[in-house]
Amino acid sequence: MWGYQGRIERDLDRWREAGWLTPEGDTRIRAELALRRPRYGLSGALAVLGALLLGFAAMSFVAANWQEMSKLARLMLLFASIIAAYGTAGALFVRGLASFAHAALVLGVALFGASIMLIAQMYHMDGNPPDVVLVWAGGALLTGAALGSNPALSAAMLLACLWTGWEVALTSEVHWLFLPVWAAVTAAMAWREWSAGLLLAGVAISVWIVALGYLFNDGHAHELVTLLGLAILAAGVVLVQRQLHLPLQPQVIAGFGMAIAFAGSLALQFVEVVSTGRLIVLSALTLAALLAAIYWGFRTGMRNVLWLGYTGFSIEILALYFKTIGTLMGSSLFFLVTGLLVIGLAVVAFRLHERQEASGGGMS
Amino acid sequence: MMGADQARSGRSIWTAIATVVSVQLAVLGYIVFDRVRLLSAGREIVLDVVPVDPRSLFRGDYVILSYDISQISSALLEGKPAKGAPLFVTIGQDAADKWHVSRVGAEMVVPATPEAGTAPAGKQVVLKARSDAWRSPAIGGRAGPIFARYGIESYFVPEGQGLALEKLVGEKKIKAVVAVGRDGTAALKGLMVDGKLVYREPLI
Repeated sequence: MWGYQGRIERDLDRWREAGWLTPEGDTRIRAELALRRPRYGLSGALAVLGALLLGFAAMSFVAANWQEMSKLARLMLLFASIIAAYGTAGALFVRGLASFAHAALVLGVALFGASIMLIAQMYHMDGNPPDVVLVWAGGALLTGAALGSNPALSAAMLLACLWTGWEVALTSEVHWLFLPVWAAVTAAMAWREWSAGLLLAGVAISVWIVALGYLFNDGHAHELVTLLGLAILAAGVVLVQRQLHLPLQPQVIAGFGMAIAFAGSLALQFVEVVSTGRLIVLSALTLAALLAAIYWGFRTGMRNVLWLGYTGFSIEILALYFKTIGTLMGSSLFFLVTGLLVIGLAVVAFRLHERQEASGGGMS
Repeated sequence: MMGADQARSGRSIWTAIATVVSVQLAVLGYIVFDRVRLLSAGREIVLDVVPVDPRSLFRGDYVILSYDISQISSALLEGKPAKGAPLFVTIGQDAADKWHVSRVGAEMVVPATPEAGTAPAGKQVVLKARSDAWRSPAIGGRAGPIFARYGIESYFVPEGQGLALEKLVGEKKIKAVVAVGRDGTAALKGLMVDGKLVYREPLI
């Protein structure tokens, strides 16, 4: 958001100087930009961090000192602290101090989680620890959705990831229940049109899909991962062409699809046991797809696609290098193939550059 | 984004706050209620605590308890429980009132807490357990014992009292008083030392 603000303001200055923009248009655009700018600056961020620290301080103080109290008194204390945190948030919202209100909401979410753990301690409960994390995530999602708190929604997403990671660590099985929880938190983020949150959601689901390859079908589901990634990429491409206005930019969705498909393809080539013929076919397909992505990113000016393409290409070449050294293909064949590929890449880049020059400008 | 927050009337804010607070407090209240009901109405059994490696006994101010029934021979496993699914451990009492595992499976075959005295099932109790896949190869069809966790393995003690308790566990003088619910869930009620009840906590 801030990066966009800075860029558009520089562009506006340039456009106005060039005479493409009337002074009135300039004023109107800037007025709209000012409206869009989040009033959630450094003070808000610091207040949220401070609230988190207060939560931890209160809980460790209570945990260390409450042997003297009866169970009922401890429960009342926990309940009162939660009511106080949310009550403070309400009072701050009413006074228009939204960023501080959001900090109080974070404190409320933290106290809710701490209360679950302290109750478990009071009754010597030692059940399935991930369950506690799930209940906590549910509380954070409720706060985030009902009170429009982005920090609470991101807490819900992180807690959902912790829950799933823990379950997977305990069972070594695919944790399907992540999907409905992820969808619920993501829906709340999309409803609030919170792009940074959706980015987090994209990372979370991408990691889950890539992990699917190592957990599903006895750990051999990398074809499925690659296909899912390609499907997401295709959806992203369609959305890019429709030029829809979405809370998460279509090119970012395409980028997630690329990353997932590439991770699946890497596992197919280098984690699974493959024949040399299959490796050659797979790596040629992967390199061709990455070159196509670089070309597409360059033509459309989508930097994330471009850089994912470059990074993927480098990783693929490096992985092939380590795989082929000392094996059937031999290093000379490897260098021949990669050399030809890189020369091909240079030719493509040169042609593209010429075309960009001819059309006047293009991206730097 | 923030505009929506500010445009909201004070009243709708308070409605939302009240909803969030009541749901969260209700969840916490239910956790307490569920546990108190289990502790007060569950069938009480007394299990022997076995010493564990003293170095790993302490993590802060709680004692890690292990039981005779925590490690189960894979020969007692019936059926093929799914990974991560709960296990139902049937335990029976011998003449010396000690509990031994008679069966492990994915289903509950006898009622978890039959009425005391209705022989022969009266001497049997079913406990719901979990087993980490990586600690119990038998779940994956390989040989080796099953390490069952019943949710009664941590006992939080008042600060400073842990060392004394650690010594008693090391000398195997401790028994755990456990309540078992109808679904096989177990809850720690207190600890017995030399046949005398210590650390029995009030329900609320």
